[in-house]
Amino acid sequence: MVFSSVFFLFTYLPIVLFAYYITPLRWRNAVLLVVNLIFYGWGEPVYIAIMFLSTAIDYTHGRLVEKCKARNNDKGARMAVASSVFFNLALLFFFKYWNFIAGSLAGLGLTFMPIIQSLPLPGGHSIPFTLPIGISFYTFQTMSYTIDVYRGDAKAQRSIINFGTFVTLFPQLIAGPIIKYKDLGDQIDHRDHTVEKFASGVQRFTVGAAKKVLLANNLGMLWDTYKALPTAQLTTLGAWLGILAFSFQLYFDFSGYSDMAIGLGRMLGFEFLENFNYPYISRSLTEFWRRWHISLGTWFREYLYIPLGGNRVSKPRLLFNLMVVWAATGIWHGASWNFLLWGLYYGVLLVVEKFFLNAWMERWPNWLRHVYALFFIAIGWTLFAVEDFSHLGPYFRAMFGLAEGGLMNGAALYYLRSYLPMLVMAALSSTPLGKTLWDKLGEKSKKLLLPILLMAALLICTCYLVDATYNPFLYFRF
Amino acid sequence: MSKKYALFLTVLFCGFLGVMVTANALTPDREFSQVENRPLAQRPALSLQSLVSGDFMSDYETYVTDQFPGRDGWTAAKAYAEKLVGKQENNGVYFCADSTLISRFDAPDEKRVANNAKYVAQFAEKAGVPVTFGLIPTQAYVWADKLPQGAPTYDQRTVYADVAGALPDTITLVDSLWTALPDHKDEGIFYRTDHHWTSLGAYYGYTAVMEALGLGDEVLPLSTYQKTTVSDEFYGTVFSSSGVRWVEPDEMDVYVPEEGITVTSRIYDASGKITEEPRQLYDESFLEKKDKYSMFLGGQQALGIVKTGNADKPKLLIIRDSYSDSLVPFLTPHFSEIHLIDPRYYKLSASQYIADNGIDQALVLYSVPNFVTDANLVWITR
Repeated sequence: MVFSSVFFLFTYLPIVLFAYYITPLRWRNAVLLVVNLIFYGWGEPVYIAIMFLSTAIDYTHGRLVEKCKARNNDKGARMAVASSVFFNLALLFFFKYWNFIAGSLAGLGLTFMPIIQSLPLPGGHSIPFTLPIGISFYTFQTMSYTIDVYRGDAKAQRSIINFGTFVTLFPQLIAGPIIKYKDLGDQIDHRDHTVEKFASGVQRFTVGAAKKVLLANNLGMLWDTYKALPTAQLTTLGAWLGILAFSFQLYFDFSGYSDMAIGLGRMLGFEFLENFNYPYISRSLTEFWRRWHISLGTWFREYLYIPLGGNRVSKPRLLFNLMVVWAATGIWHGASWNFLLWGLYYGVLLVVEKFFLNAWMERWPNWLRHVYALFFIAIGWTLFAVEDFSHLGPYFRAMFGLAEGGLMNGAALYYLRSYLPMLVMAALSSTPLGKTLWDKLGEKSKKLLLPILLMAALLICTCYLVDATYNPFLYFRF
Repeated sequence: MSKKYALFLTVLFCGFLGVMVTANALTPDREFSQVENRPLAQRPALSLQSLVSGDFMSDYETYVTDQFPGRDGWTAAKAYAEKLVGKQENNGVYFCADSTLISRFDAPDEKRVANNAKYVAQFAEKAGVPVTFGLIPTQAYVWADKLPQGAPTYDQRTVYADVAGALPDTITLVDSLWTALPDHKDEGIFYRTDHHWTSLGAYYGYTAVMEALGLGDEVLPLSTYQKTTVSDEFYGTVFSSSGVRWVEPDEMDVYVPEEGITVTSRIYDASGKITEEPRQLYDESFLEKKDKYSMFLGGQQALGIVKTGNADKPKLLIIRDSYSDSLVPFLTPHFSEIHLIDPRYYKLSASQYIADNGIDQALVLYSVPNFVTDANLVWITR
């Protein structure tokens, strides 16, 4: 199920809120667990089994780690952690990377890994072998759990219902933010439900919905046009227009989802950490990664980079560590070579910034730093978005003036005219301008304006959702 | 935020959801959307099978969206919103000059086009009578100057050239459709809100077709007929798919009188049993409905037989799409019988039909967008 649908907004959400709030406090996690499973099973019911499996495995391992630690059996605890990490990675590997690796090996003539088309079910049925939605997000969350317990950052969860609620928590189940158990464990056990929190959740959810439905979906149509365009018709203006549209689509789609997740979380009494902080106003790529998908960056730092030794190692080892982290970050985004390439691209650029550019950039004028960052971000998104390698070369050539269709044509100008207001709106919404203006308003005007804006956004979103033959969901690959 | 104000926002949001949920529960489900001209999704049946496969869930989401209270209002508001932010198209329809809506015409599937051309050639080989082939250019080509500036559109003429080039010389081509219509592009030859040609457009099409059929000398001048306006509130298919609600309705005219003409429609059921039902050249009952264009020959049918009473004239068979329905009235003075086959529904041998019914000439006539998307032309090769 996706948030940006008529069904979610006007059937699922009202039922969830109603059921949640008429239930006495002590049963609320159980209610949440049930609705979480319905949410997850809505798209592919059979994969609910993965939720049960994940919950059972990590719950047991968490308890095991704690037991070993209580007996000062560090070796046992480490074994348990290793076993839990192994199970989670195996799950992720099997569903996400098996066919990618099998296909790549088959391309080299090695066929010992068969390509899996479908999974057999009991009773002679089978289901197509598809990526379980959100698997990259929840395997990372459950992995963090046993590690946190081992490190003493969190206590093992005693109630399997509570633990199941953490694993399956629907607001952030399928598109993040990736929440570490140590940040959420206490809230699972005990959280306050206040009307202030609920109201702030409503605001945040509405902002997220508007980002996703009004900005991301709309600009996504422009990118779809250019993605599908035969390279012979590609123009320089069009290629840039396309990648600009994709950059905004991805940001507003992803951050819109995070906003909706944070908002829904608050409606249910949770407080999630922020995931985006105006990434497109960055003045370096290092800064960009501190502002983009923060929960993923933090995860890799805490559970991969630092265990590898972090930066307290020799220079060659540091380079190696950084490249491992960025290769992992890249391939996490999808089982395809272009994502690996995209990750390594950032690995190299961030190393260059770290060792050479940073000191020099200090002396650059601000505008140059913005142009520099945005340019390399856009190039990065091209690697990310154009998955077909045979298409990538012509696309880059088109961006740099060697387009087969020339610098521009009538169609590119038509799209520019048609989408200019949306692009300007998207650009302004990528900056803190709106927030600054809002903060400048007096209390009274804010109070008057807020409900009007809120309702306007909800109503316009509803128009688009009811009309939604076009409502793609970008995160099936993650 | 004070507690009171937070409560207000909470009530506002929950109230909005509550109102929509209640409205949804209270409004009865609709079977059919007049505006969109399609059946709406109904509540799916729950079964273990559909639950496990996930079909129930996706059907249910479609159902909720289709039956959303005030659906037509919401979709219309979306089209307005798109126009407001500078878009010049919605749901694949361009907002054009002169209160006109024109469907996008994108690069067609080359393989399908090549196959359809091949099927026409195979049909001509088997037909046993002279075969004439024509593709009708539509608004996106003829009215290209009404499109928004620079609006991408694929050149229909290229499609025609490719298809014509792939056909054997034995087939006569109605090339002059590509001049007869553009020559009169300043007249109301197409509807502004529907994908069809108007009766006037069909008349110019008729002059082109007659010439290709070798009956050029028989063409009657338009002044032979008296124009009758049968409706001035026609909103067609393009209007439906666009979501646009700010254009003027179309006027529908007819020219040729229907006296002395009988129409019979043959229905073939799955077991091969044939039933016949009488139809009319102009079925005015459709003028009361949304689908007003179906007034011409009563809309879709597998096989239609039009008898004109001109017993001395030849018999024509048309492999058709719906453009032919408004063309047929102009052809009636020149043929004793006109047989119309729609390969979407007629799955028997067309060449056998020609032999059995003493057909003198066959015409394959499609609009370009229908020809490049049609998946049933294979049936005419039987």
